[in-house]
Amino acid sequence: MIARFDLDWLKRQNERHRAFCEMLEIQPEGESKFTFSAKDNLCTKDFQTRAGSRILEGYRPPFDAEPVKRLRHAGGLLLGKTNMDEFGFGTFSTNSAFGVPLNPFDRERACGGSSGGAAVAAALIAGHAALGVSTGGSISCPASFCGVVGITPTYGRVSRYGLIDYGNSLDKVGLLSRNVSLIEKLLPVISGPDPRDPTSCCQTQLDMSKDRSGPIAVPKECLEGVEPKVLDAFNAAVQRVSAEMGREIVSVDMPSLKFAMPAYYVLATTEASTNLARYAGMRYGVMGNEYHQHFNDYFSGVRTECFGEEAKRRILLGTFCRMVGFRDKYYLKALSVRNTIIQEYASIFKEYAAVASPTMPMVAPRFDDIKNMRPVDIYLTDFLTLPPNLTGLPHISVPCGYVGKMPVGMQLVTPHWEEGALVKFAKRWEQGFEYHIPEVGA
Amino acid sequence: MKIGLEIHLQLPTKSKLFCSCPTTADQPNSSVCPTCLGFPGSRPSLNRKALEYGLMVARFLDCHMNQKIWFSRKTYFYPDLPKHFQITQYESPLGVDGHYDLNGKRIGIWRVHIEEDPGRIRRVGRSGEEVSLIDYNRSGIPLVEIVTAPDMSSPAEAREFINQLTTELRYLVGISVQDEQSIRVDCNISVGEERVEVKNVSGLRNMEKALSYEATRQAKMLEAGKKIVRETRRYDEERKVTLPAREKEFEEDYGYIGEPDLGEYEIGAMAAAIKLPETPFMRAERLAKQCSIPEATAKQLVLTSMNLADLFEETCSKVPPEKAVQWLLGPINSNWSKFEPILGEKKGEIIDVIKADSDGRINDNEAKMRLLAMVGMAEVSTSDEGGRDIEVLVNQFLDKHPEVVKDYRTNPKAANSVIGHLMKETKGRHSSKEIVECVNREIEKRV
Repeated sequence: MIARFDLDWLKRQNERHRAFCEMLEIQPEGESKFTFSAKDNLCTKDFQTRAGSRILEGYRPPFDAEPVKRLRHAGGLLLGKTNMDEFGFGTFSTNSAFGVPLNPFDRERACGGSSGGAAVAAALIAGHAALGVSTGGSISCPASFCGVVGITPTYGRVSRYGLIDYGNSLDKVGLLSRNVSLIEKLLPVISGPDPRDPTSCCQTQLDMSKDRSGPIAVPKECLEGVEPKVLDAFNAAVQRVSAEMGREIVSVDMPSLKFAMPAYYVLATTEASTNLARYAGMRYGVMGNEYHQHFNDYFSGVRTECFGEEAKRRILLGTFCRMVGFRDKYYLKALSVRNTIIQEYASIFKEYAAVASPTMPMVAPRFDDIKNMRPVDIYLTDFLTLPPNLTGLPHISVPCGYVGKMPVGMQLVTPHWEEGALVKFAKRWEQGFEYHIPEVGA
Repeated sequence: MKIGLEIHLQLPTKSKLFCSCPTTADQPNSSVCPTCLGFPGSRPSLNRKALEYGLMVARFLDCHMNQKIWFSRKTYFYPDLPKHFQITQYESPLGVDGHYDLNGKRIGIWRVHIEEDPGRIRRVGRSGEEVSLIDYNRSGIPLVEIVTAPDMSSPAEAREFINQLTTELRYLVGISVQDEQSIRVDCNISVGEERVEVKNVSGLRNMEKALSYEATRQAKMLEAGKKIVRETRRYDEERKVTLPAREKEFEEDYGYIGEPDLGEYEIGAMAAAIKLPETPFMRAERLAKQCSIPEATAKQLVLTSMNLADLFEETCSKVPPEKAVQWLLGPINSNWSKFEPILGEKKGEIIDVIKADSDGRINDNEAKMRLLAMVGMAEVSTSDEGGRDIEVLVNQFLDKHPEVVKDYRTNPKAANSVIGHLMKETKGRHSSKEIVECVNREIEKRV
């Protein structure tokens, strides 16, 4: 596997689609085994790491994130940092301080988020692995909108050392690529315990040969509220799975899934509000100059100026959820909802090999339509990706059909630590279904 | 008056609580890394030794031990706190509901937990042009926090409590002496109904002063018919007064959540496996009972050094306790810094001298000279070996003065001249009984 790439070509593509917010300046000499990119919330020594936020402007970490380090050791060439919603806060990558990445199939449309730049890079560059990060669906969603494969491993499978935190109990580093073959090779590379991330140290060994047999469950709750054309594409795909792959498809009830969204937003914003406390114009990133001020005023000044609207909204939501009097009502309640949903998945997995659903209830939306959406409308579009993310279950999104030229994604969820079965499923799916490659200029 | 304390002590680990930075450093900001500077993407991993020390403290204070613990984020904005949250323990401390017996009085211990220390702020520059500098060497240093019930009834008692506690913990886990001087305490004190918290007082002396000031202030207010309001105050070391804290704080306002990066720890087995050594005050209590010596004497022994207490116990197996006390709390205790280093080599010899004194083979003066000679504080001629040197001296004298033996035949009092000479020669290193016996024995041989 030898990757050649033309940096000038990539720069031209990037001007059209803004996948990268930082990239190589000069064509490196020699060849590498493969090229990869890192979402901008993964620390890198050789590029700024800003997580899509102005508050980290100029920050160059003194260390590489563990997954970046492991891909470099495996012979990968890091092309640059991919654009994202500020700190991962968004569904369309429209909340970045460094420009909005544009969909590879239609530049009028969003590429999904928050790993939007990663999905665009995966779609544009052949033989490329994009490191993405998912907290509530940030790998599946852009994979679906950009017509690429995106795998989100089990929580704790891949070290988070060097990942800029959004919600530590939810954040997972994964991979996006045009098809599953590079993912199959590289998932074992980035997986495995890392003493610098204690939550990665209790994993069972990744077994890529382990498959799961049995019928596939499709929860009824996951088909309500899905756009009709997307639903048609998904149903057609499920037919193929049944007819060509010989997997029985069974409709099931998973009533607890509807609670995933409120529980997720409580937990994620609660953790985020503590994680973002450290950004205050001291020690790294942006520095203010009003040093005569009381520190509270100085911190507030920098934070007011440099955080985007969505970041502020989530800090407020999260701070509210952990305040006295609300903590039990929201934060502790959300923790118990998470357990309830884990139990429901566990009982489904006793009878079924996997749970399938459309990845997103829509195709990539047009930017004009996004403007008219309220924050809560946007949060609601995550209802299919939130359940596996909230519960830390591994999942994969594969292109499964097209509405016009826009891709539709199918999401598959397996029990904790069973990523091997996801990859096997995707490989078999790819044997019978041809993915569209976006038309890109020279 | 009711006083309750929240005591913060540094645990003597080599590395910090959540990273591998050394806990000692010469230059400001020289022992720091991405984790203790709170850089984005860095993560904590728990120092097992710090947990072990914390568990020892909780066990020692007879706490009910939690089987499972986790850490929490206490979020507040302050320039010396890199992440703007402190990793501490909230819902699941290491232990709860313990106690410590302070001179026979039971002091309740509400909880014991471990947490990370923030950095340190230094104000430099001329007045009016001051600049704040932050040293993060302290950031991430492991602390144990001990919260007591309001069971102390005077500032002096509070001080005595911390004094004894630090003595015990110094022996138990090896907390350093400097830490005792820079100990940080939050004090809760109520004279009437409502309590007032004096936060972040450094050092024992300041704590006692702050408490005394606060007790007087509250008593005066009550006398004047005023009400005491529940509030947080701080101690002004310069003016030696307590003042209302500028920012009001209540524990609940910190918006605690679990620390998701550290997960849960099953500590039951680890806590149960800890073997607690006998600490100084426990030992003093045992020695007082076992050897029937006054408790104050026993405390003096253990407070000088546990090695002195060891020596005491060994000496007591050979001589009565009063005799051991006489010598160990006499010349040996007064010159302990000289005696302690030679114990390995000369312990047996020291005990022999005390035994010889106790048996009456040598007198007190001689015993003292011999003990001090071991540490180079007195001269004893090297030929002076036990009782044999008297024999030599007696015979030398008798050789020179054969007439004494002749006279002795008729008048035993002639021996007195020999005795007198020897007493003079040996400068009281031997008891007169010993000399008399030796002289009579030697003359008899020649008669």
